[in-house]
Amino acid sequence: MSELFNLLSDMHVLTLLLVLPLAGAIITFLSGSKVKAAKVIALTFSAITLALATLLLLAYPYGQTITSAFQFSFVDNIPWIQSLGISYAVGVDGISVPMVFLTALLCFLAIVFSWDVKSRTKEYMGLMLVLEVGVMGVFMSIDYFLFYIFWEVVLIPMFFLIAIWGGPRREYAAIKFFIYTHVASLVMLLAILSIYFNAASILGYNTFSMVTIGSVGPAFAVGFQSVMFLALFFGFGVKMPIVPFHTWLPDAHVEAPTAGSVLLAGLLLKMGAYGIIRIAMPTLPSGAQDWQWLLIVIAILSILYGAFAALGQKDLKKMVAYSSISHMGMVLLGFATFTTIGVAAGVFQMFAHGLITAVLFMVCGIVQHIAGTRDIPKLGGLAAKMPYYATFVMIGFMASLGLPGLIGFAAEFPIFYAFAWMNGVWNWWILLPIISVAITAAYYIWSMQRSLFGPLTDKIDTSHLHDVSWYEAAPLVALSALIILFGIFPNLIYQYITPVANGILSFMGVL
Amino acid sequence: MADYTAVLPIIIVAGIAILIPGIRALSKSDRVTGAAALIGLGISMFLVLQFLWDGTAPITFAGVIQLNAFSALFMLVFLSVGAYVVISSVGFVKGEKHTGEFFALVLLAISGMMVAAGSLDLITLFIGIELTSLSSYALVAFRKKDKRGAEAATKYFIYGGLSSAIALFGISLLYGITSAYVDSGGLPAGTNPLLFTSIGAAVSAAQVTADPILFLATVMIIAGFGFKIALVPFHMWAPDVYEGSPTTITAMLAAGSKKMGFVAYFKIFLIGLLAIKADWTVLIAVIAVLTMTMGNLIAVSQTNIKRMLAYSSIAQAGYILIALPIATVGDPATIAGFAGITIGEYGLAGGLFQIVTHAFMKGGAFLIVAALSTVAIGESISDYKGLSKRAPLMAFAMAVMLFSLAGIPPLAGFASKFVLFSGPVYASQTAGNGWMIWLAVAGILNSALSLYYYARVVKYMYVEKGPTDRVKVPLSMAVGVAICFLAVVIIGLYPQPVIDACLNAARALLGA
Repeated sequence: MSELFNLLSDMHVLTLLLVLPLAGAIITFLSGSKVKAAKVIALTFSAITLALATLLLLAYPYGQTITSAFQFSFVDNIPWIQSLGISYAVGVDGISVPMVFLTALLCFLAIVFSWDVKSRTKEYMGLMLVLEVGVMGVFMSIDYFLFYIFWEVVLIPMFFLIAIWGGPRREYAAIKFFIYTHVASLVMLLAILSIYFNAASILGYNTFSMVTIGSVGPAFAVGFQSVMFLALFFGFGVKMPIVPFHTWLPDAHVEAPTAGSVLLAGLLLKMGAYGIIRIAMPTLPSGAQDWQWLLIVIAILSILYGAFAALGQKDLKKMVAYSSISHMGMVLLGFATFTTIGVAAGVFQMFAHGLITAVLFMVCGIVQHIAGTRDIPKLGGLAAKMPYYATFVMIGFMASLGLPGLIGFAAEFPIFYAFAWMNGVWNWWILLPIISVAITAAYYIWSMQRSLFGPLTDKIDTSHLHDVSWYEAAPLVALSALIILFGIFPNLIYQYITPVANGILSFMGVL
Repeated sequence: MADYTAVLPIIIVAGIAILIPGIRALSKSDRVTGAAALIGLGISMFLVLQFLWDGTAPITFAGVIQLNAFSALFMLVFLSVGAYVVISSVGFVKGEKHTGEFFALVLLAISGMMVAAGSLDLITLFIGIELTSLSSYALVAFRKKDKRGAEAATKYFIYGGLSSAIALFGISLLYGITSAYVDSGGLPAGTNPLLFTSIGAAVSAAQVTADPILFLATVMIIAGFGFKIALVPFHMWAPDVYEGSPTTITAMLAAGSKKMGFVAYFKIFLIGLLAIKADWTVLIAVIAVLTMTMGNLIAVSQTNIKRMLAYSSIAQAGYILIALPIATVGDPATIAGFAGITIGEYGLAGGLFQIVTHAFMKGGAFLIVAALSTVAIGESISDYKGLSKRAPLMAFAMAVMLFSLAGIPPLAGFASKFVLFSGPVYASQTAGNGWMIWLAVAGILNSALSLYYYARVVKYMYVEKGPTDRVKVPLSMAVGVAICFLAVVIIGLYPQPVIDACLNAARALLGA
């Protein structure tokens, strides 16, 4: 173990990663009426958090041998509600470390990107940091109760971000988002309670520890596992979202402010996928195998439905929103293969999609801001007036459609590979998700061609068009750099994920 | 010389209540009067806490009132409700006539609740409930020139009197059954036939169980006390009364009186009628699901915030009632963390926990409505537009109360619902009780439904634009709200002591 590892362990780095943004949020809320002060405080705290998360990424011993699905580092464990067996327990492994890093990165960039928010800046910045606490907490909790608390805490800031700073139909979208995801959470809660009591009767004592419950998971009755897996899959799936429970997503995305969309697509959707790979699959191995066919069918359905729906959109942001459904379907397909390559690539796709979708929503926000509309038919020829903007759009679109050399390809290709070569009757089904590659390329290239190239549009006033501002360009440059870096060297991230993916699958007994 | 330790907390509250009109007349100050009331409540609370702290054996007074972990928990809830109602009422009734009587009646109502909490037999329970009811009728009508208040009081009095009569009829039938059993030699001669334990013993006997009169008595009890709790279909009075009452009194009705009805239900069903549980568990379960569903559905369409909160109280009563069928599950919890308790005790503890948290979150919500009404912010939900700008702290406290009621972590309402709904999940794993899982499912679906109308109020407060003038609520009301706010946040973050107290209380009731 390196010195950095020991240093971070002694610092209780995970708790610090939760406390820092929380403290930042409280200070931001309490800061005076100065707009600038709130922004600077929020930026400072998110920057320190990002620095710490980067150190965590560097210090995590990815080379270690993983023998189980539940092998965590940097663990902090403090008993909390003893009579129910609840602890404040946090820890990270090779799957959560990249997600924690992604969370810190996107929150920091979203705050930079929101530099021009003028209405109720203090609340806006504070809520961003609260959201960061919630998402971080989800990715590092190793106690079911704690996990659920962070899972629900995320809803409140996102509800306000959409409801206060959103578009014209923001109130409808905010309440729809809140209720859809809350119903799903409650179903998940019911499943967690059942698992808790079942584990307790096997163990002889009650605990909400993911590690302990996970260790007795294979001993659960087969029928019980089957039902519980379905309940958890629903709970996590709505958040992902999976077709047919996706309808909150286009509404929420279209109405949310840009930074809200970035965090919604970049982080909140990942929570759903994370729940499936962290909890549902390893804890209920035979349940997962019972429903493998359903995972595959729903994954393919989401991939195709998302792609075709995106093809039909006129609103650039709605198109990106539907593309998220398609790409999250890809994550699920990777998981459903039950192969090391597939699962690892699914997690990698979570990471990749987080970076790419942030770029996509940012460019949507910029065009809305500068041109006053996101309607693809009204735009055209923007590249001539906004060359930098056009570059960022191209990087984002190309990464998303899976151009080799960019991060999207490094995620999607192994998923297709794993699905095509997995055991069983599914081999020829690969043709279905493959179709989506063509559809995805079609909607991106077509929309790019219509909005960026060709003659300058005369449907909107183009006299005041200007290129991106510094606070818009800076996050885009950073994200683009990472998209290219991890596109060329995907192993930088895969080296974290693959051993854990292998550990989870061998724990499930499916390798 | 009898041992008065068990009733001392009650005597203090009732005694101060009698002194208060005099204190008001002499001091001519609401603050002094309120302080006197508060001192009484404080001493009483100290005595109850001391009892819990010492962990001594139950203390009985004259064979009819007992201070044990169960009654002490309820007494603490009632005393806390009394305290925040008194504190906030000092600002609320400023400048009105008869404030001395107002505070006296509040304390009398609280002492009645405490009698009910400690009661060991049906007639003591009934006296406690009537003491509270009669005081509440007058309190609801406190603003006698206010037409809605007068109407509410009339309605409350008629419904309340009728339901008391029905309950009393049920009690008299039970009295007949048990007395006959004592006379037949089933229990030693001279046993008080109204003791819950006597009823329990009589009902377990075969010749009594088959008696059709017992069934009639059970129905009467369900209906009579069901009115007090405002269970569907006995809930019609609640929204009108909650809307028409002075709002701090509404807080007391929702947080205190309603809980007294639960005391009656728990004691009668879980000690007295446990032997015939097969006859009533499903019925109570159906009433619970109906109550929560109706309450939530009707709350969605309300435009007056007090009515909305009233229907939400009905829904919450439905949640709490889940604990009653669960509490009948006698299988021991074979889990080390719950060593020595049964699944039923765990389930009951969930109900008790929900009662504790509901007292603070619903009481707090009503206090906020009361506080805002003193600065001319109306009771229509649309009057709350832009409240986050006008009264940021009140708006924040209200948002916290509402999210807690909806069961959003990390607030107290989540912790209590978590324990409450886990009861049926646990019980459903025992033989013959598989159906109980549906109680948890119903509760959870209803929680999701309720989020809609709670979130709507939050939306009005934080999203919609309204008047921008700052308002300042009276200090005493702010203190009342602060108590509830702190309770909701602290219990949410550290529920362990409350959960333990509830488990002990449940054990004290069921283990008896």
